[in-house]
Amino acid sequence: MSDPQETNHNPDVLGQVLAQRGRVATRLARLKSVIAVMSGKGGVGKSALTANLAAALAMQGRAVGVLDADLHGASAAAMLGARGQRIVVEAEGVRPAVGVADIRVMSMDLFLDDDNAAVNWRHPGGLAADTFVWRGAMEANALREFLSDTAWGELDYLLIDMPPGADRFETLLRLVPDLSGALVVTIPSQVSHLIVRRAISAARQAQARLLGLVENMAGLTPAEVTDELFRGRPGEAFAAEVALPYLGQVPFDPRLARTTDAGRPFVLEHADTTAGRAITALAKQLEALI
Amino acid sequence: MKFLCNDCQEVMEFVDNKASADGGSMAIEYCCPSCSRAISMVTNPGETQVVRSLGVTIGHEALGSAPPQPMAMIRDALAGQAPTTPAPTGPEPVWTEAALKRLSAAPSFVQGMVHRLYTDYARQHGYPEITPAIMNEAREKLGMMGM
Repeated sequence: MSDPQETNHNPDVLGQVLAQRGRVATRLARLKSVIAVMSGKGGVGKSALTANLAAALAMQGRAVGVLDADLHGASAAAMLGARGQRIVVEAEGVRPAVGVADIRVMSMDLFLDDDNAAVNWRHPGGLAADTFVWRGAMEANALREFLSDTAWGELDYLLIDMPPGADRFETLLRLVPDLSGALVVTIPSQVSHLIVRRAISAARQAQARLLGLVENMAGLTPAEVTDELFRGRPGEAFAAEVALPYLGQVPFDPRLARTTDAGRPFVLEHADTTAGRAITALAKQLEALI
Repeated sequence: MKFLCNDCQEVMEFVDNKASADGGSMAIEYCCPSCSRAISMVTNPGETQVVRSLGVTIGHEALGSAPPQPMAMIRDALAGQAPTTPAPTGPEPVWTEAALKRLSAAPSFVQGMVHRLYTDYARQHGYPEITPAIMNEAREKLGMMGM
């Protein structure tokens, strides 16, 4: 917290909001790069790809954090082996959980006390509790608190796992106007391309820097499994259509699902596989782009 | 939102905001910098809660209250759902050779995480050193079977 007094004794609501944004900027100034992993489409493997990218960067000796911006579908803590760690509140902020490969993790999952708990904001009473405006403001504010109050320490990369949809990405851009960039994830399906195309348009209108497109679940590996998962246009052609650099494809390897489910990103133990090499190459491309 | 003084054609300036005793509504006072005419905009309870959801303090809350705590809004709004642990305060425990040897048997990519979890556990419980016995105890209490 850079200057709690400033906010605390300021009766001007606008002044307080501006001071909050100042605290986000102060906190993020210690992070070399902040990258959003977004799609617009749900179910394309953003979270698993984020966890594996974080692991691949950590394997290259980088200090990495993952902020799980998917408040209602929080999965980063589970995928990085950090579930069950308690939130520790210190003077300088909330200490993130530490997952495999020393990846620091902040996720709503860490705030919920059991597997059945939903993110259920305490009702203020009155009409506000039933309004989408109030809920939207609460969730934007939660993202702001994650950004300003997590004591990440020094990081080379903070990866932000975005929820499906374009609205939260716009919130993120307002909070982090100098975002290093956003990685766009799709799968090779026509439906995904349609939705991702709209998300790209929204991100461009918000003047985000888009680093490139990654095609996830592009075919199956290992080699003995040869069927295709989807039969859409090649990701490279789609990237050209939406005028984004094509950063490559990551094939679906059933082991990726199993290891990530177990809290050990696939790339840590299977770096020398088709999918593992693709993820490592993607991490290297990201480093080159930033 | 801004207010204009019709007589002076000046944008009125924010002066103060005051919350009602029950916190259900808020009066935001503005004043014309030329003629000093003052007006107050009064919010209804729904509008007040939307303002509160921004994580700001209003009216009397803003004066003399304790400094804001990290992630205060999340922790308050999820009250009863947000398990927290006080920061460990004890001295840094010493890892015995046997404990380090056992740690080194874990896969390299989990060693950092496991090292921190056991160190925090020892500090929270006031153990000056970490031995395999302490690791067993922590593993059982923290549900870290297999580490």
